Amino acid sequence: MFENLRVSVFLAARALQRGGRGRVLLNIIVIAFVFTNMIFLPSVISGAVESYNVQTIDFMTSDIVIGPRVDERYIEDADTLLGRINRIPGVIRASARFSMPVSVDFEENAVSIEVKAFDPRDEVEVTRIHEFIEEGSFLGSGDRNEILLGVLVTGHEDKSKDFYDSLGGAAVGDVVTVRYANGVAREYRIKGIVRTKSYIADYMAFVTADEMESVLGGTGPNTRASEILVKATDDADLSALKRMILSFGVGEEVKTWEDATSDIVAESVESFNIINNITVIGSLIIAIVVIFILITIKTFTNRKQIGILKAIGIKKSVIINSYVMQVFFICTFGVILGLVILEAMVLYFTAYPIEFPDGTVTPLVDAGMLVENTVMLYLSSAVAGFIPAWRITNEKILDAMRGA
Amino acid sequence: MITARNLKKIYAMGRVEVHALNGVSFDIGTGEFVGIMGSSGSGKSTLLHMLSLLDDPTEGEITIGGEDVLTFSDSKKTRFRLQKFGFIFQDYALVPELSALENVILPALARGVPLPDASAAGRDYLDRVDLAGRKDHLPAELSGGEQQRVAIARALVNNPDILFADEPCANLDSTNSRAVLDLFGQINKELNQTVIMVSHEDWHREYFDRVIRLRDGKIEKEEILKGNR
Ligand SMILES: Nc1ncnc2c1ncn2[C@@H]1O[C@H](COP(=O)(O)OP(=O)(O)OP(=O)(O)O)[C@@H](O)[C@H]1O
Ligand SMILES: [Mg+2]
Repeated sequence: MFENLRVSVFLAARALQRGGRGRVLLNIIVIAFVFTNMIFLPSVISGAVESYNVQTIDFMTSDIVIGPRVDERYIEDADTLLGRINRIPGVIRASARFSMPVSVDFEENAVSIEVKAFDPRDEVEVTRIHEFIEEGSFLGSGDRNEILLGVLVTGHEDKSKDFYDSLGGAAVGDVVTVRYANGVAREYRIKGIVRTKSYIADYMAFVTADEMESVLGGTGPNTRASEILVKATDDADLSALKRMILSFGVGEEVKTWEDATSDIVAESVESFNIINNITVIGSLIIAIVVIFILITIKTFTNRKQIGILKAIGIKKSVIINSYVMQVFFICTFGVILGLVILEAMVLYFTAYPIEFPDGTVTPLVDAGMLVENTVMLYLSSAVAGFIPAWRITNEKILDAMRGA
Repeated sequence: MITARNLKKIYAMGRVEVHALNGVSFDIGTGEFVGIMGSSGSGKSTLLHMLSLLDDPTEGEITIGGEDVLTFSDSKKTRFRLQKFGFIFQDYALVPELSALENVILPALARGVPLPDASAAGRDYLDRVDLAGRKDHLPAELSGGEQQRVAIARALVNNPDILFADEPCANLDSTNSRAVLDLFGQINKELNQTVIMVSHEDWHREYFDRVIRLRDGKIEKEEILKGNR
């Protein structure tokens, strides 16, 4: 066993050393690009998914989001619930939000959006919207008659630049009219403009809970909420925390951010995975074809040599293994070179992230995927090297020895 | 040592059958230096290939050391060749990617001899064929005679029971041919190795103990040349 392996290694090493180094180098480069190709696109997609997830946590759901019971519009007794959640170990803070559809009018423009009301002191603890104020400032605790608008709501003066209906370039300090779904209309000064790069968060408006309370005439956020966002410590186990909240007898819908986004994202991740698989399969086919051609040519030009080796008593398996080992050598250095190229690309795109409309994306190389694809590359290359080597070594000795 | 009984080899060339061997029987004893001679196309190489297990006869029996070698599986034949035979081919048949020394030690490595021992033996044999100074040359960097001497060293490195040589001197001048034949004679006598060599040069007879002369796939005559012993 050991001496067989030793002879295979010996033959493989000499073949690589003396049997056309240029060709070996070329094949290493091809495998490197195949490898890079296999990993890079999937990591851009992983990066996009990751950036979507981060946006979801930062602006939409925080770590855990609690919604009303099924068939109910609001969480009742929200302040009591808030108090209980805030006492759970691992919870940094909970923030109650109250949403209502509104129409915002400015000059001749009107947009229909959702306004969310919250207590700014709670909200800054659970989301990062306050860090993404492009102009003006975030809401203060007692603020009345002031509103925070997403950048897609204020929009551009030149409306052709807008993605949705907008207010045509309203700026901080401008006064807008907000018509609530319950018929109340208020005039607000724009206090700040939010730019998070999330399509959803940037097409919203925010007011304080106190303001909403007055709009609703005392039946609002202080006792009722549309959702409660919960921020947990970094080391908290979210599903354990979710179970804990549920065990408090909360009849509400409790979801981790993953649960909350899974419906939307799961589908797009699914489509991304199909693209990834196609990329991986395409790369593997290139690798298989390249290795197959390489070893076919090599074994064919070495026909006579293979005949000689068999004649003097070298086992077929030893000869085949020497070719498979050459393939492994090429793959190993191809993968190493590929990793270097990949690392360079990741560094580049981390320094200069890819601009997606939904935010900037840096490639995210997943270790599991890296290992999985490397193993697949090795396996398919081994098969691609094995088959031609096996075919030639099964030729009759004398036929092979007569061959060129 | 070797018995061959009624060996036949028939090549089917389309509708024509070529009887390369047509019923050949003989015995060869241990330590004999046997020459297989005959005109071109008489079946010399074919016979050598059958005896050295590189090809199967269409009919007949071969025993080597009492074993019915034709019943062996492919891999058992391969192992048998490695353990018991040394090969020298007309066109040297060295591995071009291996240096002289590496070519020589390859069969030893395949038998599991540790590298230092194999290298020492390889150097010894290269020294015996007068190529100590060429051990790191690739086959392409050696003359024909030098390559053939490397092939001889390779054939001897495992101390084989039987040495098979198919026209080892065909590409050599008479000085080199003599050197090769002297070497064969020497190892045949010193180590009592059986040597079976194909040749069509009449003057080679002076080295042989016995000549099996073929004609059209049959034994034309056997000559015992006792004087050489
Ligand atoms: N693979 C083959 N297919 C068909 N016929 C073959 C094959 N090998 C040999 N022959 C035929 O068998 C006969 C004997 O061939 P062989 O090679 O044994 O001759 P030889 O005595 O070694 O000749 P030479 O001295 O020229 O080497 C020849 O007629 C040859 O044409
Ligand atoms: Mg011949």
